[in-house]
Amino acid sequence: METLTKDPDPSLAESPAGSAPQLVDRWRQGFLLIGTAVLLAFAVAAIALGVAGKNPLVAYWSLIRGAFGSVDAVSFALNKTTPYLLAGVGVTMCFRARVINIGGEGQIAVGGIAAAWVALALPSLPAAVLIPMALMAGGIAGAFWAAIAGALKIYRNVHEVLGTLMLNFVGTLMVSEALHGSMGEPGAGFPQSPLLAENAWLPGLVPGTDVHSGLLLAVVAVVGCHLLLWHTPFGFRLRLLGSSESAAAYAGVSSARGVLEVMLLAGCLAGLAGGVEVLGVHYRLIEGFSSGFGFNAVAIALLAGLEPAAVLPAGFFFGFLESGALAMQREVGVPSSLVFVIEGLTMVFVLCAMGLQTRQRRV
Amino acid sequence: MTNPSPTPLLEMRGICKQYGHVQANRNIDLAIAQGRIVGLLGENGSGKSTLMKVLFGMVRADAGTIMFRGKPLVNHRPREALAAGIGMIHQHFMLVEAMTVAENVMLGWKPAGRWLRRRTVARLLKEKSGHYGLDLDPDALVADLSFGRRQRVEIMKAILRGAKLLILDEPTSNLSPPEVTGLLAALRRLRNEGLGIIFISHKLGEVLEVCDDVVVLRAGEITGAGPAADATRASLARLMVGRELAPPAPPATSAPGAEVLQTVGLSVRDNLGVERLHQVGFNLCAGEILAIAGVDGNGQNELANVLAGVTPATSGRIVFQGADITRRSARARTAAGLAYIPVDRSSTSLVPGMTVAENLGMRDFERAPFRKGPWLDRKAFQREAATRVTAFQVRCTGPDALVQTLSGGNQQKLVIAREIGRQPKVLLAFQPTWGLDPGAAQYVLEQVLALRASGGAILFISSDLDEVLALGDRVGVMFDGRLLGPLPRGEFDRARLGFMMVGAEPGARSLPTETFQAAAGPSVP
Repeated sequence: METLTKDPDPSLAESPAGSAPQLVDRWRQGFLLIGTAVLLAFAVAAIALGVAGKNPLVAYWSLIRGAFGSVDAVSFALNKTTPYLLAGVGVTMCFRARVINIGGEGQIAVGGIAAAWVALALPSLPAAVLIPMALMAGGIAGAFWAAIAGALKIYRNVHEVLGTLMLNFVGTLMVSEALHGSMGEPGAGFPQSPLLAENAWLPGLVPGTDVHSGLLLAVVAVVGCHLLLWHTPFGFRLRLLGSSESAAAYAGVSSARGVLEVMLLAGCLAGLAGGVEVLGVHYRLIEGFSSGFGFNAVAIALLAGLEPAAVLPAGFFFGFLESGALAMQREVGVPSSLVFVIEGLTMVFVLCAMGLQTRQRRV
Repeated sequence: MTNPSPTPLLEMRGICKQYGHVQANRNIDLAIAQGRIVGLLGENGSGKSTLMKVLFGMVRADAGTIMFRGKPLVNHRPREALAAGIGMIHQHFMLVEAMTVAENVMLGWKPAGRWLRRRTVARLLKEKSGHYGLDLDPDALVADLSFGRRQRVEIMKAILRGAKLLILDEPTSNLSPPEVTGLLAALRRLRNEGLGIIFISHKLGEVLEVCDDVVVLRAGEITGAGPAADATRASLARLMVGRELAPPAPPATSAPGAEVLQTVGLSVRDNLGVERLHQVGFNLCAGEILAIAGVDGNGQNELANVLAGVTPATSGRIVFQGADITRRSARARTAAGLAYIPVDRSSTSLVPGMTVAENLGMRDFERAPFRKGPWLDRKAFQREAATRVTAFQVRCTGPDALVQTLSGGNQQKLVIAREIGRQPKVLLAFQPTWGLDPGAAQYVLEQVLALRASGGAILFISSDLDEVLALGDRVGVMFDGRLLGPLPRGEFDRARLGFMMVGAEPGARSLPTETFQAAAGPSVP
């Protein structure tokens, strides 16, 4: 083989880029691409604002102030971010294994029901016992909900997109069912449960603000998923499954087991998000509390480029954007639906940008 | 190069193409005359694919000119190349499986008319294909056709569209010997009618048999060109590789060791209930190579997968070192010392989007040294990769290089490094030299022989008779899901195996000719 090694490296002939991109480079490149996409989205949305007769600069300034302008604004945005991080990182793990879980909303909904039910059923327990129990119930319920779709895929060959999507309707309608029935607050006139006992409320994270400790849980979950994906055999299995089914089979990785495990994980995280919303934000179960969360979780996973650690910036972006939007709506009279336009445009531009990147993607 | 007609059909001058800092084509001149078959030889990465892509308009050259039938081809795309009369038969066919042969020929073909005239096209197709000895049934669904017949459809498509120059990229790599004979005869007839043909191949024997001229590329440059009559296998191999290639030494017969692998009545049905493997029984001893020949698609894939534990057996037993492993998982078999080299590198034996280190650990990541408690040991991945990359001479930028940046030969070295580097008791090698250039292929065979010398048992499955004849201590043939033989060394020769490959019993010495037609393709629909 000696003479062969003297030839110019044929490996380079096949790939113009040559060497593997370094981690730092990839992150910088990712931020650059996504930053550009976000700027473009705002620019296009500015045109829409102009057409609507509003000054885009004024509108964006009120959006920024609404997101960062005061302690209350920031803590509001942080609380909005929490469920996004939890559900988003779960979806990220699913997508890594090429399991298209779009059932975040249903999993959040049943997680919320379970957490509220425990908190209402055992109001006299001390907070140190009640809160973990309620959150755990939420996680288990969410995991169970996702596992139904996983089992349907494995044993009945029902595509997970269909399974999780349908279970969304069932899950959110179960919230309504519970609130119009046994869990509803008598005489409230609005489908909501009675207020939870105070010892079921999530403790604050930063004294003097509304930020609740669910945020800490979410950040821990994101870091945990990062470690799982890149530093454990479990994560390695997920990545093999996501790259090619035949490679996974060859490596002795069971597809059924992987699908079930990742669905349980994502469902548990989404269920936790539901529990955190109930115990930390509303202090009760209310109808429609999970609305839109599941799809935002998918958007966040894509915005993060399916990188668990990148779910942090992506989740914060969504949280602050939406809380700023509410302020913009109040102050400038811009419909907050414009924010959904910005979110949508951002996703379009991000997906375009990622299209440029796919050739060099690492799985 | 000899040039009998005054103006050549095709004249490429000074073609240069650079990818990054690698010169894929360096100042290449290529002339093809009417009525000549020109063999284009070269290792993987030597630049022959790039040159053909430039010609067909799939890639733009940095410099150089192309004259085709007296007209320049500038900044052209495949559509213009087709219109000018260049037909390219890719390795992967561009056919619609759900349509008939005639419909595939009509697709996107203007002269087929504004209205679908299936009858007319079918008649024309039948006439023309019969004329070239490429008989086709115009009404057959492409999905039902064997690989060889699909290739005929592609060739007829090009000819009916009025191609004056035909480019065939590795046309014989998936054909049985009788199919190869048929293809070469058809090419000769086309040549005699004035077509120019570029025949890209690794197989020196076929090139010498059918080509009028040979052009050899190495590292982006032409290292030799001339009439095929003046060339020999050895001279061509030297021009391609830049050194002499000795054929792999036939293994010295030695007393086989203890039996390590045995199968009894092994059968496999696929999802549709079709039996793909029927009652396969053999035994394999330490220090022995059992080679299995056969036309692709006769159950070799199923045999390899069921032995490796990737797919379950429907019935029968697999005994490995005295223990029944029929129900054991792929992972358990790997851990016990059963290595497997599948044929497909792009999505089975390797994950192109993962790093070299991760690919080296992908079959062992649940065990030490790759695993430490609940964690993957990233340092161990790096360490193992560094050791094996050196030991098996894998050329890459390091353990963190993505596998998709490696050449085909280096990718296969990586698979060898993982599977043989584990020092397995039994190696299942399924077409381990598929798509490799002669240098890389020889390296793979040497590693297989080295494993045998150190006491490993090897099941070597290949559709390349030369390899099977060179390596096998015993040789069996897969036909229609059955294993014929195996015969010990001395009892088999090329002719006898050739008969077995089309379904004759090991004792037979001749076969009625029509059986060739029927049995040439994969037998399963």
